[in-house]
Order: sequence, then C-alpha cells, then structure tokens
Amino acid sequence: MSDDREHALTQAFVSIANSMVDGVDVVDLLTGLTTDCVRLLNVASAGLLLADAHGVLHVLAASSERTRDLEMFQLQRDQGPCLDCYRTGAAIDVEDLSAQAERWPQFVQAAADAGFASVHAVPMRLRETVLGALNLFRTEVGPLGAGDRDLAQALAHVASIALVADKAAADRETINQQLQTALTSRIAIEQAKGILAQLGGLDMDQAFAVLRRYARDHNLRLTDVAQHLTSREMAASELLQAASPPRP
Amino acid sequence: MARVASCSGTLAAVIADPSADPFRRFLILSHAELRISLGAAVAGSDPALSMADRLCHACVHLLEVDGAAISVMLEGLSQGTAGSSGELSRQLDELQFTFGEGPCTDAVRHGEPVMAENLANAAEQRWPAYAGSALGLGIRAVYALPINLANSCVGALDLYRHKPGPLEGDSLVGGLMAAELAELPLMALMSANADLVAVADGEEAWDHLAALARVEVYQATGMLMGQLGVGPADALVRLRAHAFAHGLTASEAAWLIVGRQLVLEPDEPRNLGPIGGVS
Repeated sequence: MSDDREHALTQAFVSIANSMVDGVDVVDLLTGLTTDCVRLLNVASAGLLLADAHGVLHVLAASSERTRDLEMFQLQRDQGPCLDCYRTGAAIDVEDLSAQAERWPQFVQAAADAGFASVHAVPMRLRETVLGALNLFRTEVGPLGAGDRDLAQALAHVASIALVADKAAADRETINQQLQTALTSRIAIEQAKGILAQLGGLDMDQAFAVLRRYARDHNLRLTDVAQHLTSREMAASELLQAASPPRP
Repeated sequence: MARVASCSGTLAAVIADPSADPFRRFLILSHAELRISLGAAVAGSDPALSMADRLCHACVHLLEVDGAAISVMLEGLSQGTAGSSGELSRQLDELQFTFGEGPCTDAVRHGEPVMAENLANAAEQRWPAYAGSALGLGIRAVYALPINLANSCVGALDLYRHKPGPLEGDSLVGGLMAAELAELPLMALMSANADLVAVADGEEAWDHLAALARVEVYQATGMLMGQLGVGPADALVRLRAHAFAHGLTASEAAWLIVGRQLVLEPDEPRNLGPIGGVS
C-alpha cells in the first residue's frame, strides 16, 4: 500500500470515527464515504442508497453530480444490483454488466450510457436489518480486487453503525426514524444546493462545496445550514459571500 | 361490513376480527394492503367527494378512528379545511382556526405528530378553548399528523376518536401513510388543478409520490426557491404543474431546470388564496 493511500485510508476511518463522537451529520458523513470509495478503491463512481419505511431505495449520497450517474443510482429503485443487494442482504458483484442486460434491462443500459462496465454492491446492515447498499461502478470489466472489496464492506459497516450512532440497541422503529431523518436531511441539502446554484450561478458540485465549507467554517451541521437556507432563516448571499471574499 | 365495500377492490382479502367489539368490527389488513387501500381512496372517482374527503373517509373505514379531517396551512399564506369524513370532523377542524390553537396547529408549526390521547384529562392543558369545545362535541382523543410537501409542513391529517387512548399499531401506521397520500390533494389545492394529481389506482398514487422523491426534483425545487423567492412546497407545485402542462415527468422538468434549459416564469398559475370556508 502506498503511503498516500494508507494516509487517505486512515483519514477516511478517522473522519467516520470523529463524526460519531461529535454528533453525526449523516449526509455529510455518507457523501464523504462515497468520495472516499472513489479515492481509495479502484472505482470510478460510488453511490449510497438507503431504504425508507416502505422499502423504497433513495439516493442518500453520491460521489458525482453527473446526471447519468444519478439516474443510474435512482433507477435502482426498480431494478439493479443495489436493489437485489438490499433485498438479499448479500454483496453482489457484476464483473461484466453487458452480460446482465436481460436481468436488468434499463439499469444495464443506463450504466452503459454512463460509461460503466462493471458494478459491485455491498449491503449496509445492522445485524439482521438491511438499511441499504453501497454501489461501486468501474469503467473496466473484471473483479474488484479482494482487498478493495473488503475495504468497501468495512466502510459500509462503519457507516451503518454511524447512522444509528448513539442507539446501540436500536430496534427497527428507531432505525426507521434515523433513516427517515437522513432522507429528510438529504431533501433539505439538495434544495439548499439548488438555491445556491441558482443565486450564485454555480453548478451542483460547487454549490455543495460552498454549503459544506460554510458548515465546517462555522462549526455547524450541514443539515442545519441547509434547513436554515430553505426556511429563509439564513440568506444564500451570506454563504456565497463567505465563499468568495472580496478581492483586496 | 357494507360501509366498507365501496372503499377498495383489495377488501376481498379483508378479515373481520371475531375478537373485536361486536358493535365495531374493525379490519385487519397487512401493511401492504393498507397502503394500497388508502391509495385507492385517493384514486376513487366519487363525484360528490373531493380527493381529500375520500382520503378522510378511507381513514374512518380502514383505521380505528371515528372521524378525520385534512387541514391546510400553506406556508403562512392561507389556512382552512381541505377535506373531512363528515360534518363533525369538519367542525372539529375549524375549531382550531376559530381559537387559533389545537393539535393540528401545533403539528404544522413543529412538523411533528401531536397526540392528544385524552382531552378530558386534567393534565391536558395545551389547548383549553379547543379542548373544551371538542369535548362538547363528544370527542375525547385527537391525533394530528403533519403533511409534508418538499420537506415543508403544509398541513395536517387530524384523526378523531370518541374514546380516549393512544393511536398505535396499524392505526398509527395507516395514519402516517394517509398523511403521505394527503400530499396529493394538497398539491391539487395549491395548483388549483385536480388533474395534476389524478391517479388511476392505489399503486399509481404511491408512484406519483415516489416520482417527486428524486435528487433532481429536490435540486430544481431549490433553484425555483432561489429564483422566485417562494417556499419549498410552492416551488415543487410549480415544477409539477409545469411538467403536467407540457407532458413531462417531474424528473424531466427537473433535469431541464437543473441544466438551465428551462426557466419558469414568476406568474405560472397557482392558487394561494383562501381555502374552504375559513381563512
């Protein structure tokens, strides 16, 4: 393992551990997890889907804002390895997507359109309860290296625990509440990104960076900043100005 | 069981519980059946009743409650009763607007369910004027479940009982489902266009809601909020109305907005005027 990778890996676990101690902002944490996956593993795109109380999967975090990537993740509400992984609770490795066109026609097409050749899904679980799945996409066919696969599963496990951080003996109802909180917080964050994108002339990646930077600089939770923006308790201009200080 | 027969096709599978109060045979439905039966109420086409009324009637048929009403409070702009299972429920709902207090008002303000399990309990002092009048109408318990549209609380589903006690088990699960479905009639109200949310069956009602629970829809809603200076629910309704008028899905319209290929005009049709008889 190179020093760089080892350092990045250490950082990934340290940030998850810290977020559990400091009070976790789930969307922030899980978005970090997806970008960690892309940085640490041999994968091009990562997305995390969590199930709501009806068992419907929602994209909670993604490493990319690309339209095609988001569509590919969202399609798995109806079909695809993430949905199968969620339903069975077992990891799914698809080393050559083109061979699975009959199994998941729309999903395979969407993944091919987005430039991906193989996909891997690892479950997020708390004991017997499956919460969702972590989805990893690669541009070449073939297996995910054994080390990468284990690392992905380890990251997913730690993130699952972080999701219900201070509820060690969480029952299904508590877990559902936590998941619902996470899904609700995702709505506010996406809306806040839209507000910042519109008023700051930014793309969604930049808008998220502005939101995240402001939250960190002011020691606030990402979700709280997002909710203050959507409820208009906080003006978008405040965040946009903080992101681009006037030149001297 | 006659009163139930009109409610849903899935009720063929319904079992009456023999252990139940012989004067009140309640239904045992799986959560999946409950979900579809409640959805079917929204899809129904009884011309005498609005979509909101039909949903309230379904709550009385399917959940162990004696009455139901849907209150709407649109981001501080207007308020009123959007639907009810009958005259008593409508009166109860309107009491809170008269007195400016009640479980529903609190549920909307805090975005959380408010359970008043026994209005006659001396310890229950949250809404003295409202509680006195509700008791006078023979109601002992009120449960107010918030209705969220685009993560903004725009109303509440109020469930009423003549007897005190908690709302729990399947009644609670079903009540929460109904509060989700109530987003559809409230969208129709806000856009003044019932066709916007017309659905053919219970499954389609849920699909309709799922079509709005997408990343690009949230982002486009935010962009409209920034552009038009409106709240989340209003922004979502405008997006949905535009999509409907142009034969697009909500997702398609949202991608166009996010890609800056579509800019909605500030004066797209909508309805933020007083609703019902009270405002």
